Amino acid sequence: MKLKRTIRQTFAIAKTDFLGIARNRTAMFFTLLFPLFFLIIIGFTFGTAGTGETSRIRLGVVNLDSIAVNVNGTLSTNSTIGDAFVQGLKSVNFTVFEYNSYGDKDSNGTAAYDISNGNIKAAIVIPANFTETLSFQYKDSFGAPVATKANLMVYTDPSDPTGSLIAQQGVLGFVSGFVKSYQENIINQIQIPQGEKEFVSVLTDPIQTTAREADISGRRLRWIDYMVPGVLGLALIWAGLNRAAVSIANERTLGTFQRMVIAPVSPMTVLAGKFLSSLLIVYMSAFVMLVTGLLLFQVSLFWNIPLMVALIFLGSLTAIGLGLIISSLAKNADAANAIVIVISVPLQFFIGAFFPLSIMPVPAQMFGETLPFTKFVEVMQGSMTRNLPLSSLMPQIVYIAVFGIGLFAAGIAAYWWSLKRL
Amino acid sequence: MAEYDIEVDAVTKRFEATVAVDNVSLKVEKGELFGLLGPNGAGKSTLTKMISGMMNPTSGSIKIAGYDIRESPMKVKELMGVIPQDIVLYDYMNALENLSFFGKIYGLSGKLLQERIDKLIEFTQLDQKAAKRRISTYSGGMKRRVNIAAALLHEPQVILMDEPTAGLDPQNRLALWDIIRSLHEQGKTVVLTTHLMDEAEELCNRVAIMDKGQIIALDTPHRLIKKTNIEHTITVIPDRITDEEMTAIKKVTGVRSVRKLRETDENIEYLGIIADQPEEALPDIMTAVLSTGRKIRSIELSRVTLEDVFIAMTGRSLRQEEE
Repeated sequence: MKLKRTIRQTFAIAKTDFLGIARNRTAMFFTLLFPLFFLIIIGFTFGTAGTGETSRIRLGVVNLDSIAVNVNGTLSTNSTIGDAFVQGLKSVNFTVFEYNSYGDKDSNGTAAYDISNGNIKAAIVIPANFTETLSFQYKDSFGAPVATKANLMVYTDPSDPTGSLIAQQGVLGFVSGFVKSYQENIINQIQIPQGEKEFVSVLTDPIQTTAREADISGRRLRWIDYMVPGVLGLALIWAGLNRAAVSIANERTLGTFQRMVIAPVSPMTVLAGKFLSSLLIVYMSAFVMLVTGLLLFQVSLFWNIPLMVALIFLGSLTAIGLGLIISSLAKNADAANAIVIVISVPLQFFIGAFFPLSIMPVPAQMFGETLPFTKFVEVMQGSMTRNLPLSSLMPQIVYIAVFGIGLFAAGIAAYWWSLKRL
Repeated sequence: MAEYDIEVDAVTKRFEATVAVDNVSLKVEKGELFGLLGPNGAGKSTLTKMISGMMNPTSGSIKIAGYDIRESPMKVKELMGVIPQDIVLYDYMNALENLSFFGKIYGLSGKLLQERIDKLIEFTQLDQKAAKRRISTYSGGMKRRVNIAAALLHEPQVILMDEPTAGLDPQNRLALWDIIRSLHEQGKTVVLTTHLMDEAEELCNRVAIMDKGQIIALDTPHRLIKKTNIEHTITVIPDRITDEEMTAIKKVTGVRSVRKLRETDENIEYLGIIADQPEEALPDIMTAVLSTGRKIRSIELSRVTLEDVFIAMTGRSLRQEEE
């Protein structure tokens, strides 16, 4: 009888708490939609990385190859190879803008002007003697070809190091491919025995490097495939921590918490109701993010549902425990909200949900590694994208469980302490 | 069966160096409508929080219907209904949802819960359509009635009401007085915390006046007034109040005290005068005021109120304390 009554009370508290979110648009946004918003924005921005479908780079091309140059006393305007080079650039991942001169930053209509105004990421200048040098038209006094190198210039935007690096690597990669094709063409034209052609080919291009992404899951993965399991960590932070911290503090401010305390309901029943509601919101948030990942980004994941459910529960212990501590320390709901924002906003960048910890400074990496949320993200990504067996994920799972139980116990202690302050 | 519904025995509550309630003892009989009066900071709220079980006393004991609140907290909570001063409801839920929630919290369910909700919806005077609207859309009076209903769902024997009419307009205040009277008529024990002396005088069988954490007087309003040995007080409204005319009045023979008071509803300042023989002192008081160059807008003899009892006992005005 008493148990039945306690269960009814617990569910009544959980339902009321849940309605507090469901019927409050602002709370709904910060709890459920804020992490989703991040996923969608970052997913669309970087999500396709890893597929080779890099976004088209805006590249300026100044083709001076058609300008007349003096070759052995004769003016030459041949631009065959320069034109082929430009056509090649257009056929790959570049959005090509053609210019007559490189110019300077103050001259509108030049490549330099557009770089300084951020219209293009890089500019490549094809010299006037590009075709002449590559077709060995320079000869000495005996009529023998003179080896002359074509000098391509690549200019990049210093204000955007990352964008410039990507553009530069793209251009150099294209040039490398173009040179290889050029070499093969020349070797085929030289009248040497068939067997020796192979040696010439090796001498001109002695080392062959092929870069490929390792097959770690049996399927081709994009960044978004890692990101979606990762953002489940955000569900813990934004739904679990946020809800647990704000819910009780808010009820204390409104006086409804005091009204529950003076009713014949034990404080642990109140806590259980709040925990249930927070847990439900975390699961809902996780569900929404996974469905969004599937529908919007067509993520390809391995589904170990029992592990996912269990792990979200363990992770929620940490988040809700931390939330209880915040709600107990905060004087009112506004203070609790402020503390949650101060903790949550930076925290989400240290758990490896959006960006790998490896790109961060060493102290930040060390800090991130200690967070149970980071371990949660590692396990989720390990299980859902790499299909790792449970045994290899066990150290992180134990870490999450120990941390979660410890923090939840501390949260309960803080909650008991806060009851004395009513 | 206990004779008293509330027994407070030598209760003290300390907050570090501050003593909020100092060795207070009182007994409230079954079915009594009891008033707890005093200015802000007198210790009323702390005492009611301890009686409701929200706060533990530093020392002393409290029994509700014979049950010690420390030994049988759940039983005590079932017997008690607490109506907070503020509207303490979930404004994102409607009246039915709020009542259902608080009913479940008090262990009600099924048909019984539904019957009680129906009964109390009638009490709140909300129609079915309004009862399904969110609380945030209600008027102040509607919210207040639902706030009270939420504390009555489990049909408590003892009802604690903390400043129930604070902030209400005169019409709603009178309507709430009717509700309080009706609860009393149903045999409930009602403890009313208030700083409004007219309210206490009008409603309460007995009142305890608290000051600085202690009960300084406890009796029926009539007997408390009688104990002052004053029948009337004098109220003077001059065109302006300064120290000059107050000093002049104090010099009049038989005048015990002169206080500058404010009628909060109409924002009028006036002088409250207690004198041994008010009828005889009245002409001299008028002369004293006029001699300072002030004009008198109104002067009257008033019946002694609990406010005057407080002034007579402490030398201070309740309203001054609040200001």
